Amino acid sequence: MLVGRPVRRREDERILRGEARYLDDVERPGVAHVAFVRSAYAHARARVNKNVAGGALLLLTADDLVGVQSLPVQGAEGVELLGPAHPVLARGEVGYVGQPLAAVVAETRALAEDAAELVEVEYEPLEPVLSPRSAPETLLRFARRTDGVDEAFAAAAHVVSERFELPRLVAAPIEARGAIAEAGPDGTLTVWISAQDPHRQRAGLSHVLGLEDDRIRVIVPEVGGAFGSKGVVCPETCATAVAALRLGRPVKWTEDRFENFLAAYQGRGLDADVELALDAEGRFLALRARLYADLGAYLLPTTAIPPHTAALLMTGCYTIPEAEVELVGARTNKVPTGPYRGAGRPEAAVLVEGIVDRAARELGVDRLELRRRNLIASDAFPYATPLGWTYDSGDYERCLDRAVELLGDVEPGGDDVLSGTGFAMYVERAGGLWESAEVRIEAGGRVVVASGSSPHGQGHATAFGQIVADRLGVDAADVEFVFGDSALVPRGVGTFASRSIAVGGSALARALDELQRRMDETGRRPLAEAAGLRAEARFESPLVFSSGCHAAAVEIDRRTGRLTIVRVVAVDDAGRIVNPLLAEGQVLGGVAQALGECLTEEAVVDENGQPRTATFADYSLLTAAEMPPVATAFVETPTPTNPLGAKGIGEGGAIGTLAAVANAVTDALGGRRIAPPYTERKLWAALH
Amino acid sequence: MTSITVTINGTAYEGDVEPRTLLSDFIRHDCGLTGTHVGCEHGVCGACTVQLDGEPIRSCLMLAVQANGRSLTTVEGLARDGELHPLQAAFRECHALQCGFCTPGFLMSIEPALRSGASLEEPAIRELLAGNLCRCTGYRGIVEAVELVLRDP
Repeated sequence: MLVGRPVRRREDERILRGEARYLDDVERPGVAHVAFVRSAYAHARARVNKNVAGGALLLLTADDLVGVQSLPVQGAEGVELLGPAHPVLARGEVGYVGQPLAAVVAETRALAEDAAELVEVEYEPLEPVLSPRSAPETLLRFARRTDGVDEAFAAAAHVVSERFELPRLVAAPIEARGAIAEAGPDGTLTVWISAQDPHRQRAGLSHVLGLEDDRIRVIVPEVGGAFGSKGVVCPETCATAVAALRLGRPVKWTEDRFENFLAAYQGRGLDADVELALDAEGRFLALRARLYADLGAYLLPTTAIPPHTAALLMTGCYTIPEAEVELVGARTNKVPTGPYRGAGRPEAAVLVEGIVDRAARELGVDRLELRRRNLIASDAFPYATPLGWTYDSGDYERCLDRAVELLGDVEPGGDDVLSGTGFAMYVERAGGLWESAEVRIEAGGRVVVASGSSPHGQGHATAFGQIVADRLGVDAADVEFVFGDSALVPRGVGTFASRSIAVGGSALARALDELQRRMDETGRRPLAEAAGLRAEARFESPLVFSSGCHAAAVEIDRRTGRLTIVRVVAVDDAGRIVNPLLAEGQVLGGVAQALGECLTEEAVVDENGQPRTATFADYSLLTAAEMPPVATAFVETPTPTNPLGAKGIGEGGAIGTLAAVANAVTDALGGRRIAPPYTERKLWAALH
Repeated sequence: MTSITVTINGTAYEGDVEPRTLLSDFIRHDCGLTGTHVGCEHGVCGACTVQLDGEPIRSCLMLAVQANGRSLTTVEGLARDGELHPLQAAFRECHALQCGFCTPGFLMSIEPALRSGASLEEPAIRELLAGNLCRCTGYRGIVEAVELVLRDP
């Protein structure tokens, strides 16, 4: 059996040799380059002067986009969508600094940028809206409540409340975004996109361009990271496609880092009030939460997903019989938000685990004991939450026990040091929807797999290869994989929500089982005799719910406010683990992103809505020198919902750690909660 | 346009470039050596690191014309006789890469330190790596790869 073993990655060799081909490495003959004229104001009336600057091949403004729709908007169950969809190019009014107003095409990227700088825009500045709490307009609303919330609060022995604020973050994959569009003589369109999958990009382009999706081919080359931020089509890709159709030659957009900070959708951005009602024995009776999401100026296709997920996870890992959540998706003059690793789950973990710690402190009960008293028991699955999701499997107390054990005893710091520890449970919705896979046997018994899942660094071919090897008895290295090309893979859903193994891997397992059945039926064994046989599968399942417990030990220097994260523990339950090496890699990467969120990362705008963090010098990612020791462990409670027993591991690391550090910092500060990131300036101010 | 000649991985590349052309763009788009990646174009992320006369530099912070007559090594020049360099092999063994976009920059930053024969312990290894950003791995695998190649070169 290869499944369950730390198989080394087959993807690595060509990357290490510099042979991997990312978006900007794709060269098309006769390619022209596009640059964007972007809004200089957060909120303004704006008019583009259409005198084409010298050297430009094409200038596109909103006036030139007749027949081009705004981007599609994906709803979520129960969400009322109210706000405008994001236009490809702004017409009349701009809603955030960096919003594309015009696209300029020229022979080289440098000439396109020169020409874009020369385009004149007349602005009449308007008052920017920056606070989600006081925003006059909403882009979306969502509310859900059980019947007995008010009675439960009225009857409670204790009610605790807390306000939580989480800043906006930038996903910041090291490869920024980009696309190349090329029109065929028959009006078809081929688009290479640095993306998480071809399917959602193609559906988005089809909607925006009004072109049947079978006339669009999307090819996803190797991708230099995404973390949620390359999931759906973006305005710039749409404008690039329009330019290619108008010019009749290939057009390339290679985003630079500055643009990525200004215009790629951001994550988090939440301000919330949470109340928890408990009985005299410390049992949770009811929870109320009002969430103000800082969504930005427009709805992008998946803007609704993270705050909706946060709202539905507000009962966390606990039995809380009554709950009420209200989500206000505020329209602000900032770049829109969308999924960033965790996508609503880290927010829910910070809120739920923060209010539980607050209750423990106010009631004078040990915080671990309070959790144990209220965790959903391991024999209670499937567990229907009061907010409407059904958790498939889990053993939350085992995760907690393991985290306590791994954190171990914490030595108190010296006189100048405030020490704290924190624990956070989390539950993560993962998987869901459906995915596709096709397996075929070619000459000589060569196995070819085409998958609807789409890699961008996770190691799909390695992990999927293990599944194929176990089921067909072949060498994993001999299996050929096809990903990311809508002309070559079956229609699918894509890679997000930690779903590739659980849903894509399960589709693959089903296709392999079907292939075996056909081989048996036709008597064509071994594989060399089975050339020409093929099998396809579509696997669909309800959501699966990964979970875990993270813990952290921190020290704050009283004199400087400097936070040191002494160590972090991440215990994650993603069901059956296909490759522990890759799974741990996912956890470590997610934890690193969460630690960045704790220490440095925050997308800041000034009082005019001007971004103050638009370079890697201002928005600081952690380096190797700043990473604390991280201990990881897996608890495996297989899900009954799919043939692999796998849940999802892509995001867990990024979910629990922020909440654990937030609780540790609050512990060190004697119960005072401040908002991340925990910078020296903020901590010093809290202490003096 | 200015005519320049730059030796990259032992091969002379001639090109006519605008004086403002970045060395990183010359390497990638004029010479077609796309293993060198561009992550920020402002000298922070380190993805574009190459070696100029054996020393690591950020190729996005140098103009192509400044490299005229000089000698560069890029990630494509790291393997020897078709075999992965021990550092490259250690990266694979220690799961030191995921999306791989930052990886060539790390390799080109680390390799000169190995050549110098310095013996490095973990804090020094982490300092050595601190000029390059990785958004995927959390760095542990990269630290372990350096430890492995120092232990077993």
